[in-house]
Amino acid sequence: MTGIGFDTIKRVTADLYDRSLRFIPADSKVALRKADGIETNETARHTLRTMIRSADAAEQSWRFVCSDSGVPVYVIKVGTQVRFSGNVRQAIVEGFADLVASIQPPLLPHVTNPLTLERGHSGRHMPIVTFDMVDDCDFIDITCSPKALGSGRWSAMEIFSFPDLPTIEAYVLDVVRKAGSQPCPPVVVGVGIGGTFDYACKLAKEATLRPIGQPHPEAMVAAMEERLLAAVNRTGFGPMGTGGDSTATAVHVDYAAGHGFTPVAVTFNCWINRRTRARLYNDGRVEIIE
Amino acid sequence: MAIRTHRLTFPLTAESARSLCAGDMVIMSGEIVVTAGLPTHHRLIGCLNGVEPMPMNLTGASVFHLGSYSEEKDGELQLHYINPTTSTRFNALMPTLITGFNWHAVGGKGGLDRPCVEALRQVGGVYLSFLGGGAALHTQAIRRVVEVGWSDMLMHYRLVRLEVEEMGPVTVAIDAHGVSLYEIDGAT
Repeated sequence: MTGIGFDTIKRVTADLYDRSLRFIPADSKVALRKADGIETNETARHTLRTMIRSADAAEQSWRFVCSDSGVPVYVIKVGTQVRFSGNVRQAIVEGFADLVASIQPPLLPHVTNPLTLERGHSGRHMPIVTFDMVDDCDFIDITCSPKALGSGRWSAMEIFSFPDLPTIEAYVLDVVRKAGSQPCPPVVVGVGIGGTFDYACKLAKEATLRPIGQPHPEAMVAAMEERLLAAVNRTGFGPMGTGGDSTATAVHVDYAAGHGFTPVAVTFNCWINRRTRARLYNDGRVEIIE
Repeated sequence: MAIRTHRLTFPLTAESARSLCAGDMVIMSGEIVVTAGLPTHHRLIGCLNGVEPMPMNLTGASVFHLGSYSEEKDGELQLHYINPTTSTRFNALMPTLITGFNWHAVGGKGGLDRPCVEALRQVGGVYLSFLGGGAALHTQAIRRVVEVGWSDMLMHYRLVRLEVEEMGPVTVAIDAHGVSLYEIDGAT
């Protein structure tokens, strides 16, 4: 048994990115249909239906849903019983490079050096990959969630001292109002509370990856999600920001214990909510989850 | 109230623009110009100031914040896809460009701010909201690439004049009478 191989990681990560550009997750489509059913603004209903039509057209023709393919972002959970037979980061870098060279239609050069503003298809720390350990598993679980300008630009974080819940929720709404029409609503809002500066942002990011409609397991947090979703949808921005009740399809909150300083991080996924996921096992199996 | 849908020829005239109300839908045929580049907008301001000649005639044009990817094959430009980008990052430059070039139709996604709304009212212009993530639908309406300006720039920054047929419907999000669908109470 040789473990999870270099070529498998290279091929699967590239494929996850490629596929993420060409359809929307099943839960996103369900959420858009649900929003259409309760939306009171006629223009908004029309826009929601056009979104579903656009996603279907992209999937049927196997073209991109959006021209901004974003930058490749992977969240990888590594089982403690996993064995690797090659370099992991290098496999992901090479997989993306191969994809750039072969993908049809071609990708626009979105990878940007933040210091020189030069743009291309590769760069320092690209693809963006985070790793976490998961006990007692013999697989790695890879989620690909490419991040583009439209939704990536409006994330924000602030650190409070011993904030009460109304303070935290008011901040989330403040970030939503600043984002407004710009992140291609209806969005998925991810909120990370507590921990440290970096950890709150990680929690917010991962909260956006939770399937839409799956509440947080703790009742207090689930109630907060429900309150925030209702408040976000009362802002009136609506689909594509041209007005309506459907500004978000979900608000997902997670938290970590911390000190008295409490970071609150807020991030967005656009309506497309790009997300593909696979598991690679020690015995060579590849399971495509979505 | 039922949504009004208009089939209009582009570039849009001031008269056609003034006939539209915020919330109307438009199906577009004719010629449009697209770019997704902030540097492109700065260069256009430079053209207005005599820094360099215009790469193509943009007076009275319909200019949209749409990124596109096209490639030359067998001597012809073929367009792979087209899709809107967020217009708000061009806010500071758009009033000068709208009034300087007499643009009666601009657009993209996310909208423009109040000074832009006023500039559109001044010239008789509208802002059209394209579906973000609508690449497959928008691209179907492209008939040909008419011309490309500033080929020295990145692909999606270039000015690309396109012939389109039955593109949309897109939403009139800012009309020529000063009404913007983006200006809401934001009540919670």
